[in-house]
Amino acid sequence: MTDNTTARPPLTSNAARSGDSDRGPGALKPGAGTSRASARPGDAVFRWLSTGSAASIMVILAGVALFLIIKALPAIGANWSTNPDLSGGTTAGNASFWQYVAPLIWGTLWSSLIALVLGAPVAIGIALFISHYAPRRLANVLGYLVDLLAAVPSVVFGLWGIFVIRPFIIPFQDWLNEFFGWIPLFAGPVSRTGSTLLAGGIVLAVMILPIITSISREIFLQTPRLHEEAALALGATKWEMIRLAVFPYARSGIVSATLLGLGRALGETMAIALIISPSLIFSVKLITDSANSQTIAANIALNFPESNPLQRDALIATGLALFVISLAVNMVARLVVRRSSGAPRRSRKDRA
Amino acid sequence: MKFTHATAVGAVALATALALSACSGGASGSGTPDAATTKDSAVDYGSLKGTITAGGSSAQANAQAAWTAAFQAQASGVTVDYDKSQGSGGGVTNWLNGSYDFAGTDAGLADEQQTEAKANCGPDGALNLPVYLSGVAIVYNLPGVKLQLSSATVAKIFSLKITTWNDPAIAADNPGQSLPASAITVVSRADGSGTTANFTGYLHDVQPSIWTYPVSTAWPVKGTSGQQGGSGIVNTVTAGTGTIGYADHSSIGTATAAAIQVGTGTDFVEYSAAGATNAFGAAATATPQTKGDLLQKIDYAKITSTDAYPIPLLSYDVVCTTFKDSAQAKLTAAYLGFVASKTGQDVAAKNAGSAPLPEKIQQDVAASLKLIK
Repeated sequence: MTDNTTARPPLTSNAARSGDSDRGPGALKPGAGTSRASARPGDAVFRWLSTGSAASIMVILAGVALFLIIKALPAIGANWSTNPDLSGGTTAGNASFWQYVAPLIWGTLWSSLIALVLGAPVAIGIALFISHYAPRRLANVLGYLVDLLAAVPSVVFGLWGIFVIRPFIIPFQDWLNEFFGWIPLFAGPVSRTGSTLLAGGIVLAVMILPIITSISREIFLQTPRLHEEAALALGATKWEMIRLAVFPYARSGIVSATLLGLGRALGETMAIALIISPSLIFSVKLITDSANSQTIAANIALNFPESNPLQRDALIATGLALFVISLAVNMVARLVVRRSSGAPRRSRKDRA
Repeated sequence: MKFTHATAVGAVALATALALSACSGGASGSGTPDAATTKDSAVDYGSLKGTITAGGSSAQANAQAAWTAAFQAQASGVTVDYDKSQGSGGGVTNWLNGSYDFAGTDAGLADEQQTEAKANCGPDGALNLPVYLSGVAIVYNLPGVKLQLSSATVAKIFSLKITTWNDPAIAADNPGQSLPASAITVVSRADGSGTTANFTGYLHDVQPSIWTYPVSTAWPVKGTSGQQGGSGIVNTVTAGTGTIGYADHSSIGTATAAAIQVGTGTDFVEYSAAGATNAFGAAATATPQTKGDLLQKIDYAKITSTDAYPIPLLSYDVVCTTFKDSAQAKLTAAYLGFVASKTGQDVAAKNAGSAPLPEKIQQDVAASLKLIK
């Protein structure tokens, strides 16, 4: 069972490398080999090429941030209540940029949270099945299928949501409202179209499954065999072994996998834009047509074409807010990953 | 900037002088450019060469595709790039900064945009040319019911003042029909749209006391089910029951559309292409911003005859009167001339489901295009 794990590079380090943290030690290794062979022109060329590629990432990121800030400033600074360009259309009825963007930020976080609550437990369950329960051949097939899910374009998920999930969910929503309507989440009026945050959340949950599953699976598989066997030797059942040995070892890895899933959900556009019936409001309702909080990304996609230049700047400013939120989530995820990747190293030293 | 423009214009003019040598005799006369463009651009497209870059309204997109194909069949040297992803707003913005030869827009230029256009188009400004006519259909899904709606009922339903199908107002419009007691689900556009602007314009004009919302590209009523695109509305209305929405008639497919009251009488009219054409003829008056401009003011209250559909949907192509490059001007005018001609309008009606413009407007557009230089 462990063979196929060692063959593949652990995904966690890939995720952690999204910035430049691994570049230092990587750059040192070729230097250490100089005693073996004299440097050739190819070495220098390759080194500058790869350094240039690494630098270009920083330049691109800084460029994007700069573009967002420059384009956003006129809209953020404008007087929203008196400016004729902002008083009509999509930006109508807001006193300031902050009043416009606040419900969008809420909607973005709220829909992502729904997706996480629905998706993360399933994803972790799949990962655990693949790593510890499934026969090896089935595990390989399942892992492959989950990775395949990541390759489905989001517009396809959106259409699937419209034509499959939406009609499917209508009776379920009626049931939720009938028995749990006293919980604000399931308050009415119940949607007759299925264009609800719940439908959007389900589709989002499916979309974040692959990333959470693959990372969790890799981490579960890295659990030291000794820990597992020790737990079993002490008389633990399989479930107790997983609880005692696997989960504590993988806890921070699961957290970071979930945060990366959150990052994916935050920026998702097409599925949300196609499925939910949006409103720019603060709402926790999940099963109505009229009170689904809109997300930043979907709002940009829906309103960009028919906007005047200043409204476009306002939409770009909301994009800046999304940029900041995503950056924060990714930084938290990387912090957690770094802490988690530190833990096994220490334990390996302990063993030695 | 000025110098680079001058040299660019010079270079292109030289190039096109070779390409369009047949027309150069008339154009070089420079005293009356009108006369030169009249004859050859209207009939002989074969000698034209070049690329027309345009974009904007997605309502026109299917029609533009049909026009482009038909035009290129006659003018094989011409390429037309119409980018519908921009929407009306984006199309006008790109046209104002000089990236487009013309922009498709559902709203026509606002006065300040016309002023802004003079920076790019010169002191003669720009022309709003009506090119695409259709109707806003009220689609619904109510099995077994054939719906007729008065303008007041439409306004009440879409402003959520009526919430059940068996409301007395709907029953009064539909004597003898058995209406269910179920709730009405109003489906609107979640994205900004010229269809929404036309529809809210109609409601605002005809029922100002019931419809108290502004005319807007963004749907102004909170509490409806918002969907992306006209197709999103049609899909959602078709999939649910007790749903009602609005969409460009050319995109409703097999969905059922209601008959709408004309004027204030007791006549209800179903959509037809001829009905949209007649409605436009009866209700539109030109309110020119510049010489030759054909910006239309549609007075929906004037649509009272039973041969007219009460909610026409109009879309324009906006073009500079004075181009920086006279060959490009000739090319664009030739294309738009084809678009607004009887042939062009029939091609769009056949392939994109639009309604032909009245012949008078076709002639007006042709006359305005002669001003382009």
